[in-house]
Amino acid sequence: MSLFNSGSGREATGPISFNVHWPLVLSVLLLGMAGVLLQYSVAGGDFSPWAWRHAARLMLGLVIMLMIAALDVRTIFSLSYAVYAVVLLMLLGVEFLGVKSMGAQRWLDFGVARVQPSEFIRLGLILALARFYQSVYHSDVSRPINLLIPLLMIGLPCLLIFRQPDLGTMIMLAVTGLSVVFLAGVQRRYFIGGGLAVLAAIPLVWQNMLTYQKERVLVFLDPNRDPLGAGYHIIQSKIGIGSGGLWGKGLVEGTQSRLNFLPEKHTDFIFTIFAEELGFFGSLVLMLLFMLMLFLIFQSARQMKSQYARLVTASIGVSISFYIVVNLAMVMGLAPVVGVPLPLISYGGTSLLTFMVSIGVVLCLERHALTEMSRG
Amino acid sequence: MSEEFEEEFSFSRRSLIIGAAQVGLFGVLIGRLQYLQIAQSDTYATLADANRVNISPVIASRGLISDRHGITLAENDRNLSVVIVPERAVDLALTLNELQRILGLSDGRMSKIKSRIRRMPKFKAITVADNLRWEQFAKLNSQLPFLPGVEPVVGEKRVYTYGAAAAHLIGYVAAKTTKDINQFGDIANDMVGQTGIERSHEEALRGLAGVRQFEVNALGRPVRELSQSPAESGQNLQLTIDVELQKFASERLGKQSASAVVMDVNNGDILCMVSTPSYDPNQLSSGIDAKSWEAMLVHERKPLLNKPLRGLYAPGSTFKMIVALAALEAGVITPNEKIKCSGIHDYANEQYHCWLDEGHGDINLEAALAQSCDVYFYDIAVRTGIDNIEKMARRFGLGQATGIDLSGEKTGIVPGRDWKRANFDAGWRGGETVITGIGQGFLLATPLQLVVMTAALANKGVYVRPRVSAPVAGEAANTDEASKVDLQLSSRHLKLVQSGMYQAVNTADGTAYGSSLLINGQRMVGKTGTSQVRRITMAERETGVVANKDLEWYLRDHALFVGYAPYKNPRYAISVVVEHGGGGAAVAAPIARDIMAHLLSTPERKAKQVTT
Repeated sequence: MSLFNSGSGREATGPISFNVHWPLVLSVLLLGMAGVLLQYSVAGGDFSPWAWRHAARLMLGLVIMLMIAALDVRTIFSLSYAVYAVVLLMLLGVEFLGVKSMGAQRWLDFGVARVQPSEFIRLGLILALARFYQSVYHSDVSRPINLLIPLLMIGLPCLLIFRQPDLGTMIMLAVTGLSVVFLAGVQRRYFIGGGLAVLAAIPLVWQNMLTYQKERVLVFLDPNRDPLGAGYHIIQSKIGIGSGGLWGKGLVEGTQSRLNFLPEKHTDFIFTIFAEELGFFGSLVLMLLFMLMLFLIFQSARQMKSQYARLVTASIGVSISFYIVVNLAMVMGLAPVVGVPLPLISYGGTSLLTFMVSIGVVLCLERHALTEMSRG
Repeated sequence: MSEEFEEEFSFSRRSLIIGAAQVGLFGVLIGRLQYLQIAQSDTYATLADANRVNISPVIASRGLISDRHGITLAENDRNLSVVIVPERAVDLALTLNELQRILGLSDGRMSKIKSRIRRMPKFKAITVADNLRWEQFAKLNSQLPFLPGVEPVVGEKRVYTYGAAAAHLIGYVAAKTTKDINQFGDIANDMVGQTGIERSHEEALRGLAGVRQFEVNALGRPVRELSQSPAESGQNLQLTIDVELQKFASERLGKQSASAVVMDVNNGDILCMVSTPSYDPNQLSSGIDAKSWEAMLVHERKPLLNKPLRGLYAPGSTFKMIVALAALEAGVITPNEKIKCSGIHDYANEQYHCWLDEGHGDINLEAALAQSCDVYFYDIAVRTGIDNIEKMARRFGLGQATGIDLSGEKTGIVPGRDWKRANFDAGWRGGETVITGIGQGFLLATPLQLVVMTAALANKGVYVRPRVSAPVAGEAANTDEASKVDLQLSSRHLKLVQSGMYQAVNTADGTAYGSSLLINGQRMVGKTGTSQVRRITMAERETGVVANKDLEWYLRDHALFVGYAPYKNPRYAISVVVEHGGGGAAVAAPIARDIMAHLLSTPERKAKQVTT
């Protein structure tokens, strides 16, 4: 256990100290490099067009991650609400611009602008909620007013993203927010009651879903419903993973990917290539690496003295693990195709950067694990 | 402090719950991975590797096109072709060489194929050769085991039975272009209608492609069909055209740059719509060499232009009926009022000439139409005013699309004060009204608009929208009613104009008397038009106007004729336009007479509904 404890139990040693939780940094880097390798393989053994960019972004992300790790923890603490407010304003801006310009152009602008705020809001929401619970005494967390405020903080960005509309991202955000509430110790009966309410609301949500969203769910339930369309992805992905077998076909040797049977093969469906080319053992190693990273994050959280720090850290862990689980379940045909990237592996700058910034925050909090925060 | 401890304890417990849930979820994922990659590995390996699932479209048969009597105009013939999927070829260069040897392809053809292979994704089938002879095809099939990636295809090609005679109307199909993909989506069909009926009715004609899923072995050969959703053939289409008449008119026009349109005045059926010179649509469909294409594009008689639909001409004297009706309705002339024609009309210090230098003397409306007196119409045009003329022309459908079921129709121009302001940023001038009175100036109309206008004159002032595709049985009555508009003209005025048109063709003074006809007691009536394409200067008038035959072809007048028959109980309207043909009476009227005579002397066959 000494390996996993190496980063904890220290007092802060100054703003520019690089005495960070190296095992966590290492696990993140290993995953990122696995991503570079996969991007190289997907391109048929070529660093362009994806692998070298992924590598460059990984390096940039590493620098930013360490810079955030080097911050004074109080800076992050005091900026918690501000970060949330700024990202929320950006989301509102998207809403405003989206309404203002009509027609085909709008869709393009909309699409480009949409990704960014709705990715960053996750971290903003975690920081703000943890900041809120830092100011509430534990015995008071289940009081009505203290239930209402966090729900509003979660609901507002969810509503904006839902209107974009991006159901997948909204659900990911809602689950992240609720996990903070859960970790903060709100009484369980609220969660049970809430869960029942969600079940009851499903028919209503179904009615308000867009046709393509409904179709995704229906195709998930029965991929053969649309073997040339949405179901095609799931079928081809399963064939890719299954044909990998125990040891895989070897890097760059995946026939499914090479024949262009797979859509989004370098982004959302990257794991299919991994499983096809490196087999069950390779996939197991990757999943264990993910679990190791998550374990390190949770372990750090449990060592932290302030409610704020451990809530932020654990929630970031929950958020990342949720992305991993949903993505893997999707490519293995266990969840609908919702367009969720695999953290650190999938090609895509915004999502890679968001994950690495989040880890940077964890590293910073971990360096100051024993620091107490004001309860104001 | 105990509260702090309580908080930390609660967090620990809950993070353990979440951690456990995560371990559980990862367990499920690993279990799933084990199921896919170990338990079901063989099944998926088979699907992925040994026998890949291949999906290919089943092209739908294109709908047939027939004329009003059910005679086929466009049909499908067998097309033997061969495609190559570069990705499946073991040695691409070697395979291509073998193909060249077996099929006897030229080096030029091979370099085209190679450049196509370089541009397209490796898994897409690329056509190497089509329209193969049976011997070539059989020879190829016998060599297939040695040609991985090569696939023989038995497909269809379009054949136009009447070739050039109906080329513009029916149009042709050709390999789809980027523009087609933008308009229709990336449809499975290779061939897409490019012009005419083939283009305007593309979606109905092409049908719905099916999908065939089959297993292929490592060489890409199909080994087992998994499923097939059959293609739905395109709808057959029956036209209102009488192809015998179309052929006759086409031969009559010959190589002149001309158009002829015949329309049923009662229901809008277009019986023939000819544009000459023409081209062979079969040749364009199977691919034409760049040089011949270029030659057609720049040819002065514009063989590619569908002139009845897209040719724009000053209507000349064929517009005089409209001016007459506008004047009568405005009350500026009475039917028998005579106007003196001295050969010259003075207006605002300008002189406007009648085509007859010595003038027509005192002349009334009917005689002015019959003899096409220009001075009479200069005078009444000025009295009527451009606003009334413009309104009347628009009522007859000029200056706007007729709404025929063909795409690309031109709208022409009916000038007026607003139009002049919008296009020239200048006010309307009186002299412009004068020349509008004889259908010159800014006026432009298509031969189709002229025939529709004439049909309305014949049909007691009821405007009927023209059509080329026959209505489906049972709907005929409804569509007939919906396409009609009563123009609210005085029947007395109409009768006067019709009488003028009668005299133009059937009395010795009439401009088209030489083209009169009498078949089974039926007569044709009409109006000639000669529209000037150049300005005759004062100097030229003094020295004598140069005769058409002494001018360059492109400077000669357009010859026009519009008419209908029979005079009593009108049935068919016709318009003939011969570009730079010379005089309407000498050139266009005889063509109209011959077409009309052919139509009236042929015992009428009942239009036959084709069963689809």
